[in-house]
Amino acid sequence: MSAPFLWIFLPLTLAGFLMLLRNQKVIALIACIFTLILTLAAWLLPLDTAITIGNMSFKLSSSFEILGRHLILGSADRSLLALIYGSAIVWFAVAPAVKTARRLTSLGLAITALLVAALAVEPFLYAALLIETAVLLSIPLLSAPGQRPGNGLIRFLIFQTLAMPFILFSGWLLAGIEANPGDLGLVQQAAILIGLGFSFLLAVFPFYSWIPLLTEESSPYTVGFILWMFPTVTIFFGLGFLDHYTWLRDAPALGTVLTTVGVLMVVSGGLLAAFQQHLGRIMGYAVIIETGFSILTLSLRGTVGLNIFFMLFIPRTLSLVVWALALTILKEHSPTLILSDIRGLVRIWPFATSGLVLANLALAGMPLLAGFPPHQAIWEGLASTSLSVVIWVLLGNLGLFFSAIRVMLAFSAAPEGAPWESRETAAQRILFAISFLALLLLGLFPQWVLPLWTKLPAIFTHLGQ
Amino acid sequence: MFILLPIFLMLLTALTLMLLRFVRPKFKYPWMVAVGGATLALIGIFLWHIRLPQSISLAPWQPVTLFFFSPTWLADGISWPYALSLAALAAAVIWTSVVRAENDPAAWSGTLLLTALGILAVAAENPLTLILVWSSIDLTELITMLRSTEGEEQNQGVVIAFAARVAGTGLVLWANLVSTAGGILMNFRATPASAGTYLLIAAGLRLGVLPLHLPYLKENVLRRGFGTSLRLVSAAASLSLLARIPTNALKSSLLPYLLILAAVAALYAGWMWLRASDEILGRPFWVLGMASLSVAASLRGNPTGSIGWGVMLILGGGLLFLFSARQRSTIWLPLLGLWGLSALPFSPTASVWQTGNQNSWLFVIPFLPAQGLLMAGFIRHAFHPGETSLESQERWTKVLYPTGLFLLAAIAILLGLWGWDGARSLGEWWAAIIANVLTAGFTALALTVLVRLVPASSSNRWTRIFRLERVYHTLTALYDFFRRIANIITSSLEGEGGLLWSLLLLALILSVLSTRGR
Repeated sequence: MSAPFLWIFLPLTLAGFLMLLRNQKVIALIACIFTLILTLAAWLLPLDTAITIGNMSFKLSSSFEILGRHLILGSADRSLLALIYGSAIVWFAVAPAVKTARRLTSLGLAITALLVAALAVEPFLYAALLIETAVLLSIPLLSAPGQRPGNGLIRFLIFQTLAMPFILFSGWLLAGIEANPGDLGLVQQAAILIGLGFSFLLAVFPFYSWIPLLTEESSPYTVGFILWMFPTVTIFFGLGFLDHYTWLRDAPALGTVLTTVGVLMVVSGGLLAAFQQHLGRIMGYAVIIETGFSILTLSLRGTVGLNIFFMLFIPRTLSLVVWALALTILKEHSPTLILSDIRGLVRIWPFATSGLVLANLALAGMPLLAGFPPHQAIWEGLASTSLSVVIWVLLGNLGLFFSAIRVMLAFSAAPEGAPWESRETAAQRILFAISFLALLLLGLFPQWVLPLWTKLPAIFTHLGQ
Repeated sequence: MFILLPIFLMLLTALTLMLLRFVRPKFKYPWMVAVGGATLALIGIFLWHIRLPQSISLAPWQPVTLFFFSPTWLADGISWPYALSLAALAAAVIWTSVVRAENDPAAWSGTLLLTALGILAVAAENPLTLILVWSSIDLTELITMLRSTEGEEQNQGVVIAFAARVAGTGLVLWANLVSTAGGILMNFRATPASAGTYLLIAAGLRLGVLPLHLPYLKENVLRRGFGTSLRLVSAAASLSLLARIPTNALKSSLLPYLLILAAVAALYAGWMWLRASDEILGRPFWVLGMASLSVAASLRGNPTGSIGWGVMLILGGGLLFLFSARQRSTIWLPLLGLWGLSALPFSPTASVWQTGNQNSWLFVIPFLPAQGLLMAGFIRHAFHPGETSLESQERWTKVLYPTGLFLLAAIAILLGLWGWDGARSLGEWWAAIIANVLTAGFTALALTVLVRLVPASSSNRWTRIFRLERVYHTLTALYDFFRRIANIITSSLEGEGGLLWSLLLLALILSVLSTRGR
């Protein structure tokens, strides 16, 4: 058996099977158990080494050939696989609590497998096609059955599809550069194409207009999953580029470009978040800010930046799950998610409203919450090079914090004498209680999750040095 | 290890009380458990003195290449008096609860939990630890206040107060970043001059002094017991930072202006405290006034003085706010507290008028009447009839209740003699005499003229000014203006021509960047 078969084809097959089932809980249970097995396998099983269990002996080879192309998942990729599938478990496990398990787990598993394939495929330019397939699979996930797709969804499709030709063209040019490394004109053209391709894929400013639109019109939980999965895998994909091409890695302008793009995303996302009236849109801008922070970590050269980049992963996943869960519950029971329609909800939905605010504060970098340690490391890293950049970045954080305060003001605006109650289900209450504890513990003891990401920088042989 | 002993005792007692509440709701002696835990914790704070200084750290944050500090607590001459005052306050709250209708173990549990957090804050060894504990106190206060406050306006005040305190926390973070940019890893021993002023403003902002702001004036249902702990612990957690800022880190041309702002806050709060109908309604002004004096002491390069005001904010305030059941024979108890406030030799506030930096001693002048107003208000409120009469209470209550109050007064006297390096001081006795003469004058004024005036209302013109309502209105107008701009941007990017606008913006950005690159 090969690693790509185990972590790509098997999940794809199971995703197809899950689509045939109807019971939400059964679907979620099967998906969670299967994903847990994949996570543990990634954590424990060595690749390209014979494993003997009793009389049985087998070897997981790292490569798989299909139609003349290779899917390669090496030993170094195991920790990445464990993290991706491990995080997917969280999304799948929570899904039944908001009754989205049926579509999310089956399509989500397929999207995860396709994006893992995009990271594994050689030559890399085929990754663009696999990402595009994952985008197409996201469409039924994001659009409610029987309804016309909204502007956000169409724009998501357009922007992600626009990325594909740029990545394909850049792949073509990069092959030329390898043959003729001295051709500076070619290098410049390739750099521009790569930049544009990733700008569309990562929804870099000003190409992120689809994110707030999508978070406004679609189910928050499924959008949360998409907005967690795509930027995460795309950045890993981008890191692969940086690691592979010396001319790109050593380009003198790279640091400035990454800093500028990161700052633009954080500042614009934060400032626009501060003025939003719709709770879903605020979550969308928070995702934009987080992508900006990931890009900023890459501007901090060396292992420091890469370490912070991976450190952001778990708090972000946790915060997004909590935020999306809370939004989905509120959306079900409130006419709209506009601030004027959610006044006083803290007295009816105390867990959901608290979860939403805590997740927002965590992503804004509030001390004591999970997002604080990595954000503090970024601020300090940037401060040691330029205080003016930190001022801009803090402005973005302040915008997101301000949006949390506005949301709190709306939630707490209950009329005098309104009774306290909790309409969340027992499962929802338990999930929120666990997530509050996790958000606090990760804010106090960030070292507890260190073993989960400490091996990840080793995936990138040059950047991780 | 002694550092964590009282905190552990408080948390254990709080947990036990909550467990008993659920498991054995008819348990008859929760008060005994609470008072036992609080008293043992107070003794635990005394044990710190066996070895000062001593510190304890949690496991370091990793990777160590990213995090240079980890949560660490330090028992020293600064944290000890604050911790002792807070532990004494918690013990007094529970001891004196025998005369109040608050017999809910949850309130005692909350008091102990909050005090444990307060002690963790005052003993914070580095800014990282401080901001973590501050945040935990802020979240606790936010939840508690939202649970106990009614009405949109009151709830709005709670959220705004939370935002202001988090902004103060943000300023500590900013001070740390300024320090990092200068190549110095900031802790409380090494604070560059560029960062010291930010730390001071951070404490001032959290306390409502710099700039003066009073997000909520009406006291809520949490009145005597837990309410007193909530107000005073929260203030003490911020005040301890003032004593930690090294004097040499406060060198800024802004200092005189900050002193003027602190003086305005102190005088206003002192006047409102004097005019308040009773001590509970005046409590926000007591905290604001004493905090202003503490901030001013720090601005004048006198961290010891800021501790003096800080501990008297807790002990003097606690004594008066818990003094609800009164009789003629117990009036000496608040008068002992008045001694602590007098700035006379050997009192805890004896050293408050010393100046440790280049600021002119003339800056002391506006703060003397502020002290006079606060003391006069203290006397006025102490002589009110009170909520209940102690004479009507049971015999054992008549012993326990004054004992709880005496605990606070005794700790105040003890701290004046033994509290920190520089205690047992004669201080600036001339300033103390002036302040006490002013106190006598203001007291006479209060007893003759003020009784005929309508009590200060929370909606009068000055209060509206000091609640910064104008500023909020201006900020709201500015916010609306920027919101319109943001709406134009988002509707352009998200509209039909959004893609073209995006490409145009990209072209603009690239052209600007390429121009800068040349």
